[in-house]
Amino acid sequence: MGWRKWFLVGLALGLCVWALVKVAPPSRANPSVQADSRGPSQYLSSGVFTTAHSSATSAVTDFLDVHPEHPAQPIAYTHKVHLANGLKCEDCHVGVDQGPDARIPGVAFCMTCHQAIDTDNPEIRKIAAYAARGEEIPWVRVYNYSPSAHVKFNHAPHIRAGVQCASCHGDMTTQTTAERKVNLNMGYCVQCHREKQVSVDCELCHN
Amino acid sequence: MERRNFIKISALTGMLATLDACGRPDQELIRFVPEEDLIPGIATWKPSVCTLCSAGCGLLVRVMEGDAEVVRHGQRGLMQMGLAKKLEGNPRSPINQGKLCARGHAGLQVLYNPDRITHPIRRTGARGSGEYQAIGWDDALKELSTHLTALQSAKATNSLSFLTRPLSGQRRELIERFLKVFGAPPAVWYEPFDEAVLRQANFLSFGHGALPTFDLGRADYVLSFGADFLGTWNSPVAQSVGYGEMRQGRSGRRAKFVQVEARMSQTGANCDEWIACRPGTEGLLALGIAHVILSNKLAPQGAAFRAGSLIAGWSAGLPESTPEAVENQTGVNAAVITRIAHEITKSGSGTAIIGGAPLAHTNGLFNALAVNALEALVDRGRDQGPILGFTPDPAIGDAGQPAVSAPTGLAGLNSLAQSALGGQPNAPQVLFLYEANPIFSAPPGTKIREALARIPYIVSFGNFIDETSAQADLILPDHAPLESWLDSIGESGSLQSVVNLAPPAVAPLHDTRAMPDVLLGLASQLGGDVAKALPWTTFDALLRAAYVPLRARGGSIDPKTDDDFWTALQAQGIWSSTPGTASAAGSRSAAGASSPAAARRAPTAPAAPEFAGNADDFPFHFLPYVSQSFGDGSLANLPWLQELPDVLTTAMWSSWVEINPSTGARLGIQPGDLVEIGSQQGRVRAAAVLSPGIAPDVVAMPVGQGHDNFGRFASGRGANPLSILATLAERETGSLAWAATRVKIVRIGAPEQATLTLFSEGRSGFPHEEESR
Amino acid sequence: MSHKWAMVVDLDRCTGCEACVVACHAENNIPTVGEDQAARGRAMHWIRVERSWEGDFPNPQIRFQPVLCQQCDDAPCEPVCPTYASYHTSEGLNGQVYNRCIGTRFCANACPYNVRFFNFYNPTWDLPLNLQLNPDVSVRSVGIMEKCTFCVQRIKSAEIQAEAEHREMKDGDFTTACAQSCASKALVFGDLDDPDSEVSRLQSSNRATKLLGELGTKPNVSYLERGTWQDATSG
Repeated sequence: MGWRKWFLVGLALGLCVWALVKVAPPSRANPSVQADSRGPSQYLSSGVFTTAHSSATSAVTDFLDVHPEHPAQPIAYTHKVHLANGLKCEDCHVGVDQGPDARIPGVAFCMTCHQAIDTDNPEIRKIAAYAARGEEIPWVRVYNYSPSAHVKFNHAPHIRAGVQCASCHGDMTTQTTAERKVNLNMGYCVQCHREKQVSVDCELCHN
Repeated sequence: MERRNFIKISALTGMLATLDACGRPDQELIRFVPEEDLIPGIATWKPSVCTLCSAGCGLLVRVMEGDAEVVRHGQRGLMQMGLAKKLEGNPRSPINQGKLCARGHAGLQVLYNPDRITHPIRRTGARGSGEYQAIGWDDALKELSTHLTALQSAKATNSLSFLTRPLSGQRRELIERFLKVFGAPPAVWYEPFDEAVLRQANFLSFGHGALPTFDLGRADYVLSFGADFLGTWNSPVAQSVGYGEMRQGRSGRRAKFVQVEARMSQTGANCDEWIACRPGTEGLLALGIAHVILSNKLAPQGAAFRAGSLIAGWSAGLPESTPEAVENQTGVNAAVITRIAHEITKSGSGTAIIGGAPLAHTNGLFNALAVNALEALVDRGRDQGPILGFTPDPAIGDAGQPAVSAPTGLAGLNSLAQSALGGQPNAPQVLFLYEANPIFSAPPGTKIREALARIPYIVSFGNFIDETSAQADLILPDHAPLESWLDSIGESGSLQSVVNLAPPAVAPLHDTRAMPDVLLGLASQLGGDVAKALPWTTFDALLRAAYVPLRARGGSIDPKTDDDFWTALQAQGIWSSTPGTASAAGSRSAAGASSPAAARRAPTAPAAPEFAGNADDFPFHFLPYVSQSFGDGSLANLPWLQELPDVLTTAMWSSWVEINPSTGARLGIQPGDLVEIGSQQGRVRAAAVLSPGIAPDVVAMPVGQGHDNFGRFASGRGANPLSILATLAERETGSLAWAATRVKIVRIGAPEQATLTLFSEGRSGFPHEEESR
Repeated sequence: MSHKWAMVVDLDRCTGCEACVVACHAENNIPTVGEDQAARGRAMHWIRVERSWEGDFPNPQIRFQPVLCQQCDDAPCEPVCPTYASYHTSEGLNGQVYNRCIGTRFCANACPYNVRFFNFYNPTWDLPLNLQLNPDVSVRSVGIMEKCTFCVQRIKSAEIQAEAEHREMKDGDFTTACAQSCASKALVFGDLDDPDSEVSRLQSSNRATKLLGELGTKPNVSYLERGTWQDATSG
């Protein structure tokens, strides 16, 4: 037996991990909001144990800090082109200097320019089609934190402090759709906080 | 197979099985283009009005962008919209001054309640079967309008009835006007704990048929007869603000607070001296105290003037109300009566308040007149006038209209029921239901359930299925309050006139429509005089027309034009008169009463209370009390309030009966035992709580639980004390005497048979009670 | 400027209305556990109103006392946490870091005030009640301990706001959810490092006591004793 057995087990494990990494869906839902509204209240039944993660997949990807690096987006948007045309980050990502979120603009916002600009482009036609249907473009999230990190990131103080967008989001002049080029783990945040002599109190971000 | 191989294979298959679960994305909903432009993560605060009790506190709603599941063009999807995250008191309100009570906070759970009716529905099964079909708004309104035009053609417009709770503001106006011009009788304004007795007493004693305003922050001595003024009575938040002031808000002065009641309430728990008084004899006690003051000349001559003259024997010094005589009548020690009389008059400014159970007896009006007379005798204030005052009338619309529609009480409900049951020509054919649940909250003797069964067509505008709206044939769900244009006129809680006016704080979540808009739409469809009398297409147009004239009165908004005024009023949510300017002379007349009639009134002799049930068979007084959590029961479907521990017992999700420990010992009742409380009308069962704060011959039960059809959080839980009340009424006003029922107690079983969940102790008798936390 | 957050509870003003309890639930995404779990003692009221009865009818007496995390300077819950999830912040708070918590519950065991609550199950909200959840506060999942944080999200928000406006924070800039709702102004929150703040003034009252102070926890919540009728002094 010996080495053959262990080789097989290792191979199996390796296959599993590879499969998880490649196939894991981006985590969207908050695992805590699980109740279905249609049936009798969850409250009225006795406690049923549910895990913190909704599946083993999600637990493992969370633990291994696996993120989709460059997910496919419904529209082949290119940051490169827009930035080259003189737009600045905050022109579309409105509110990034006022609050926690840098919002992705809605389809109505895109159409303010694209009802006239480059209307023959098939991708623009797709956008127009969404707008005509009253539907938002279903962008796939690139930047988020795992819910189990219980971290709240607030853009506004960073922008006010003069942190460049590229520090965390990479050089967008080289990107089409967003790519997670920078490894945004806690060490990255703490390192910069230490350099700039900003508080590293846990509750500043985890509350 | 060998164990090793077995484990290997199991491990592999296990992994593959979990792999199978991945790679399939969640069923994703499409995302609609938002209808509002909000910056995520940033809150805007919008004004609103709390409608959960009649105090009319002003609100600020924290609105933030979030994803909600909505239906657009028949398709389900996600949409970013403003969501209400938190409610706070509006600092601009002179009534609640930026504060809010426990129930007010839970208003958010009305808006996002999972049991809300989300679109119009029409009954398909039998009434109460819960079988409905969805129906579009256009069809629903067409059906409704058909029924009304049928009444018009048959010259039977007086067969339309409207059953709702007393409302303030333009909703009230709209309903009254609609009914009047349609030719229907006036609405039945019913709520179980209406304050008809107190309003009538205040009209007679002070010339103001309204709820009182007590400036407690200036008081030095508060003598309260049964009023839960820090919890549920009148304007609890305003009164709590004043209470804090009177205790520790003035250096060197701390007011004394004495509470007279048969069962220690949340308010009574804060007193310096608690006086247990026999139920229904509170008026006699007040006269005993007044006697000591009059006979020892502790107050200026003629201080009580009008209020005193309403009491027989007042001018003679109340000779029959000596402390010894009153001790016999009330059970309160003569020495205590004498001492309180001296204390209250010696204090800088004393006040006497009456509310709650003392008014809910057959002699409730006498009790109120007696306490009002005592109040007039002792309340001379210090520099700024008496503690008791009345909110000035802003005189919107017809001058002299009370701020809140006069409750028609038991009389109104009885007449509706009798007319339906009697099968007379003008028996109701169509009933509109709005914010009233008499099947739950009215005593069974009103036979309202049987009466509703006789009414051919019932339409409900409410947000929820409850015991009464379950009888409806057509349900046209109203928006939740935070989704509605709201207005109310403050009746009490401030010495400034207060008008609350707010646009919707959030967009509607479901396919609902504002009830006033539905009525206006109906009016326009009916055409003719009805349409002419109600020419507005939307409620906010009506509101604008009603309130823009306030601009002429100055006050808290100082605009240059009518448009500016309207914009500012919506933005601030509140208009108030300048302090000290509005005269309190504008009187609020109680329905049907007028000053000359009051002057002609013969002095009232002391009246003893009557009870339902004789003392031998039913040895205990039954006290159903307004719950700190659920009010009159209409808030039982809000989970925060179900889980809120009752402050005196820590009970959650439960009903209970409060019994004196000596009574418990005598009857062999242990804490948590299941007991049955029986009146002539019926029986309820709940767990017993032994409480030193209740007289040995009184049992008390909070109102609010015992719903059988009110959503997932409230249904099938606890017991409803209102269901065993007799239909005794206060002699003069006809108001329900809810404290006048006598009961007996029977022990049914051990705690395992009852369900009482306590925050402090877990479930009494729960099998796992040995588990440690 | 440094801060040391503290609270003063005036027991002579507290009426037992429990507005603070519901306000806290709304602000902090506290789950409603339901009747069964509540019966097992697992209801999570970060602030609760305790009451103690003395005496018998006809002279019973009740005293109300709101109890919340005392944010002790010498917190017994901190040294027992194996993962440093319960720690002391630089502003005097006892912080609870949810992602560090592995659910040993030693902290709840050590806390003499019983103000720590454990999520035995994943909290659930029957939709659409979840729409009310406060986005500034984490939603805790199963296996995590939670407790009153002195509304740290409001503290942070006010500090960020003051920084954005290039000014110092002042007393009254913000307050906790419970204190904001308290009609009788029994709950007062503020900065002890600000000598002019309301809490600094009230803490030096001769009515001020600490709950279980004899245990040496050094709580940052002071309770002002209830008065008696003869007292003419204020706090």
